[in-house]
Amino acid sequence: MPTRTLLMALIAALSAILILLAVFWEPLPPRPIARIAPHERLPAATAPPAGGEFTLQGAQGNVRLSDFRGKVVLIYFGYTYCPDVCPTSLSLLAQALSELAPDERERVQGIFISVDPERDTAARLQEYTPFFHPQIVGLSGTSAQIARVAEQYGSRYHKQTPDAEGRYAVDHSSATYVVDPQGRLSGALPHASTPAQIIAAVREQLASVASR
Amino acid sequence: MIGTACHGRPDPTNTCPPEKFKAMQLRNSAITLAAALALALPLSILAGEADLTVVAPYVRMVPPGTPNSAAFMTIANNGTSDRRLVKADSPVARAVELHSHTNEQGLMRMRQVSAIEVKAKSRTELKSGGYHVMLIDLQQSLMEGDTVPLTLTFDDGSIRKVDAPVRKPQAVLEAEQASAHGRH
Repeated sequence: MPTRTLLMALIAALSAILILLAVFWEPLPPRPIARIAPHERLPAATAPPAGGEFTLQGAQGNVRLSDFRGKVVLIYFGYTYCPDVCPTSLSLLAQALSELAPDERERVQGIFISVDPERDTAARLQEYTPFFHPQIVGLSGTSAQIARVAEQYGSRYHKQTPDAEGRYAVDHSSATYVVDPQGRLSGALPHASTPAQIIAAVREQLASVASR
Repeated sequence: MIGTACHGRPDPTNTCPPEKFKAMQLRNSAITLAAALALALPLSILAGEADLTVVAPYVRMVPPGTPNSAAFMTIANNGTSDRRLVKADSPVARAVELHSHTNEQGLMRMRQVSAIEVKAKSRTELKSGGYHVMLIDLQQSLMEGDTVPLTLTFDDGSIRKVDAPVRKPQAVLEAEQASAHGRH
């Protein structure tokens, strides 16, 4: 019967198509795996930040990191309009400074670098930082200077779009960078490190100087 | 009742015709109803308030001339339904917003939120690094010993008014450390 043969052929053909589709059909083209760059070629941003010397503006003029040679320097990047994160971090830092023995405290300096130099002048920072502790100095600079120092230390910040009244927040890293008495970046304490953790980091640096 | 000589009963002298008396009765029942509603409404709000308690509110003292600060507290919800804090007001700031923080690989991002949830039989902490009531453009310097009136509005319309003391950040830290030691 020709009809039956025809039907069988049709079924066979359709089944073949179905199987072919099931095996070979890919709804999306295969991903070009070969185009992913090998790990070695990733941008240098993943390299540890180098830290190092900088010059910024304090209320009495230029302040260099090297002005504090011989001291452990704790650097924090923030801004004075910051409602919570910066006051919290500065309070923790201030508490650590207060808990140090006086002879230790003499060999420690806190630096608050504004990531909002548009609003935070050096004069404004001089009103702001001593409220937390007299041994924290506030530094400002041009946007380019601040950006360079932040990059040196691996700190990130991002100004948000101002609202209708021109108010804006700045997203920013909230690490405290620890610089040894030779001016070398030795590490970063994460956000919300306790006074005890800050003190431990300071004493480690002071001890390494003493043992030399 | 205003401007009428009708004093309660139909009067044969016709100063109070029966139709006027009827209208007055209707008006009286309407007043009764309104009064009942007026009494019941605050009662229902009070019922909501009883379920919501604001514990240990405070405003962080900031350096002089600093335009912004934040209020922190714990909100406890003893009720059986979830509540949301939808608004906060204070006369000390030009604007008051609800905010949250997220820590994205060390980058602290602060964002305005439309509400802060307080689940049924639960409590939500507004604390440093998390939720806070942001006080924007402070109208006056806040000194230690001052109190800041805060009005908190919840999604069911209930309102809590609290007076949050201004506290130095280091005093808050020390208190937290002391209570942490106490728990050990």
